[in-house]
Amino acid sequence: MLLFAASRLLRAALTILFVMTFAFVVLRLSGDPALLIMSVDAPPEAIKAFRQAWGLDQPIWDQYLSYIAHAFTGDFGKSMRDGRPAMDLVMERVPATLAITLPALALKIGLGIPAGIYAALHRNSFADRLTMAVSVAGFTMPSFVLALLLVLVFAVNLGWLPASGADSPSHAILPIITLGAAGAAIMARFTRSAMLEVLGQPYIRAASAKGVEWRRVISHHALPNAAIPTVTIIGFMIGSLVAGAVVVESVFAWPGVGRLLVSAVANRDLAVVQAILMVIAAWMVMANFTVDIAYGWLDPRVRGAAAGH
Amino acid sequence: MTLLEATDLRRHYKVRAGRGPFGAKATLRAVDGVSLKIEAGRTLGLVGESGCGKSTTGKLVLGLIAATAGTVRYAGNDMPPTGSAAWRALRPRMQMVYQDPLGALDRRLPVGVQIMEPLAIHGQASPAERRERAAEVMTAVGLQRHQFDRYPHELSGGQRQRVVLARALMTEPDLLVCDEPISALDVSIQAQVVNLLLDLQDRLGIAYLFISHDLRVVRQVSHEVAVMYLGRIVEQGEAESLFAQPTHPYTRALVSAIPVLGPRRERLLLQGDPPNPVDVPSGCAFHTRCPFAVATCRAEAPVLQPTADGRQVACHRADEPALQVAA
Amino acid sequence: MTVRDALPAPLPTSTPGTIARRVAHLPFAVSLATLWLALMVVIALGADFLLPYSITAFDLKARLAPPVLFGGAIAHPLGTDELGRDVFSRLIMSIRMSLLIAFFGTLIAATLGTALGILAAHFRRYVETVILMAIDFQASMPFMIIALSVLAFFGNTLPLFIGLMGFHSWERYARITRGLTLAANEQGYAAAVRQLGAGPGRIYGLHILPNIASTLIVSMTLTFPEIILLESGLSFLGLGVQPPLTSLGNMVGYGREYITRAPWIMLAPATVIVLTTLSISLLGDWLRDKLDPTLR
Repeated sequence: MLLFAASRLLRAALTILFVMTFAFVVLRLSGDPALLIMSVDAPPEAIKAFRQAWGLDQPIWDQYLSYIAHAFTGDFGKSMRDGRPAMDLVMERVPATLAITLPALALKIGLGIPAGIYAALHRNSFADRLTMAVSVAGFTMPSFVLALLLVLVFAVNLGWLPASGADSPSHAILPIITLGAAGAAIMARFTRSAMLEVLGQPYIRAASAKGVEWRRVISHHALPNAAIPTVTIIGFMIGSLVAGAVVVESVFAWPGVGRLLVSAVANRDLAVVQAILMVIAAWMVMANFTVDIAYGWLDPRVRGAAAGH
Repeated sequence: MTLLEATDLRRHYKVRAGRGPFGAKATLRAVDGVSLKIEAGRTLGLVGESGCGKSTTGKLVLGLIAATAGTVRYAGNDMPPTGSAAWRALRPRMQMVYQDPLGALDRRLPVGVQIMEPLAIHGQASPAERRERAAEVMTAVGLQRHQFDRYPHELSGGQRQRVVLARALMTEPDLLVCDEPISALDVSIQAQVVNLLLDLQDRLGIAYLFISHDLRVVRQVSHEVAVMYLGRIVEQGEAESLFAQPTHPYTRALVSAIPVLGPRRERLLLQGDPPNPVDVPSGCAFHTRCPFAVATCRAEAPVLQPTADGRQVACHRADEPALQVAA
Repeated sequence: MTVRDALPAPLPTSTPGTIARRVAHLPFAVSLATLWLALMVVIALGADFLLPYSITAFDLKARLAPPVLFGGAIAHPLGTDELGRDVFSRLIMSIRMSLLIAFFGTLIAATLGTALGILAAHFRRYVETVILMAIDFQASMPFMIIALSVLAFFGNTLPLFIGLMGFHSWERYARITRGLTLAANEQGYAAAVRQLGAGPGRIYGLHILPNIASTLIVSMTLTFPEIILLESGLSFLGLGVQPPLTSLGNMVGYGREYITRAPWIMLAPATVIVLTTLSISLLGDWLRDKLDPTLR
């Protein structure tokens, strides 16, 4: 188990390094950072000073190493917009993002998993068909369309909730519902198919044929086994929490990391973009790592399979 | 005339024996020093339990996979490196027949197109001539002309194997490597395909390397037989005498396991399974299952030695008359 | 070698007669989805002929005119926007743009992924290791974020944007192709044809690709709507297709400003997005069941 965790940790570290390298390479490919960040008509001395300050006159390999070294300490330079350290700007937005994404995650799990289990246990019933129809909508409806529809109904027509901003807790309701609804649909679909798969297995039929009470078959045999694939999808959802909030935060003018990313991209504020890229990558990697460990804990076979052969 | 000669062929695979990314590396010796000769127009049977390296030997002989060591000479010339242009140009001379004909055929193409494919690959003949030749060969292997446009899944197992054979015969090869060609077929069809192979050899003078675990069939088709155990040949010789008087204890066990009609014979039963090929026993690889094993067998690996009746046997105790009686 | 005599014949199961019979047996929802998609393709291809107005033509007398069914004039069947531009005309051009991007994006992703998958399976060793690492990396980052960073670093032009969309889900094709190619190379028809002396071009072009095509096509029905959603999301944020060009996402983004006064500006393209992605998903599900029961 320890070996398993260690090998996963190594992989996680590699991924982070990969993302950093990606950002570095893309940044260098995109042109002279001095010209990109300074205005085109900046005086040559200023550009030279900028290059020196950023070590751009060093060999590319040295630049890469110092970039990595800085990146590991969270130093991505200063935002070109307001001159503050990019990482600080990002970190102060994180709580706002978590304030809507965590309740949304709870909604996805709390709504999606029971709905999926119910649908699987009552296959082809009306409830099953309804769940599946809603989940197809969850796959195919872009979040900004759902968001605007909710605004149209609850903010514009009914006037119950505010359409955008972050002044009161009620402002968080529509973003949370938007994020949660689509995720719950996807969650329900996955849970249902995981359940159906498990219910079709011989050991379930054997257990019920042996006369084990059906309720017990479900709770002791079916659910634990269906949980394994479900954990993967939960992990993926946790990993993409921040990324998934980009569009929704923008629609509702919610002051989170996602909205910061959009404005940073629009302004080509590269330091901030890099900082966000790294925060999201670290978050994703941590989520994946946690899922891998949870997987090994849930399914003893994985430990051996991942470590051996 | 010697068509193909393989000398001291070895094929080793690196495998991970221990657990985890830092587990010990080990070597799997799938084929470990096999030498054999195939004479033009004759059949060499290759027998042994599954996992003994027979199929790997078949692929090595054709140059389908590169050997770790050893040489293959075809018609007096070295086999070109696998996949090279010279190697590809040599393919029309030697072909392979597979255990699973459905897997060996492209299920999206009519069998006729696939039968013509060797000629298309090697740019031989015009399309019209190819079609004519395909029709000829199909008749020769017992397929009907109208089956030209059929798809593999529309044919029976035996018919598919005939298609694979027809494809192999299109370029008039000198050598066919038949890797368990009948073991996936119904018993009733097996005899038909075996007879077809014998008939084709009579008419076309093709040499076969016939790989099988079925000793009765090997006995029926082979002129010479080689017995493999854990990547090595343990006994080799003329088919009739080898089956009539097997010398190596392993061969004797295999032969005595062939069901026969008539009075019960003394049977030499093998104990246990073949050892893990990653971890081959010291000395004679067979000593762990051999009822006649002595201390020498554990310490020293026997080499193939010619015996009095012109056979080759790798056994320390092959010369002891007492053992011959005991069988 | 001539191509003609090795040309794949049509599958025995898809002669014209059986196709007609199958169409008759199409589930109702799938028929509707097919009709809708056919309509979208016709609109995308014939946009120049269908356009009632130029998309930049102002009709200042009819600003924010409602659609026909909501009391508007027949002159602007889906109403007009703030500048009096015809929503119907803009919708047609947007459909063309969004489908164009999704089409080329899917094509690029499928081509790139399939090529890398074949390379990995053909060369094994280091080539395969590098490609597998790239697959892992691509799969471990949400593509939305990768796309946003690339747009931030490189700026935005239409060819770059389409190329970027082509990087979405290439790893899906690479994975599938590598797996199927490895299986075919290890045993079976590809090994058999190789043994006949065929070169890589023939093995991959005439045998492996046709055999895995159905799986790849089914995957394309997953990628296509995903790219539509991604493109419209980015365009909605103002980071995708740039004015004066317009796409479905752009229209929704623009319509969002007028959500109280003229919701039709936003509802028309939103409906098209949802119906189109839904149709392709339905069709894809159905195709998957028909063509490739092994996938998922």
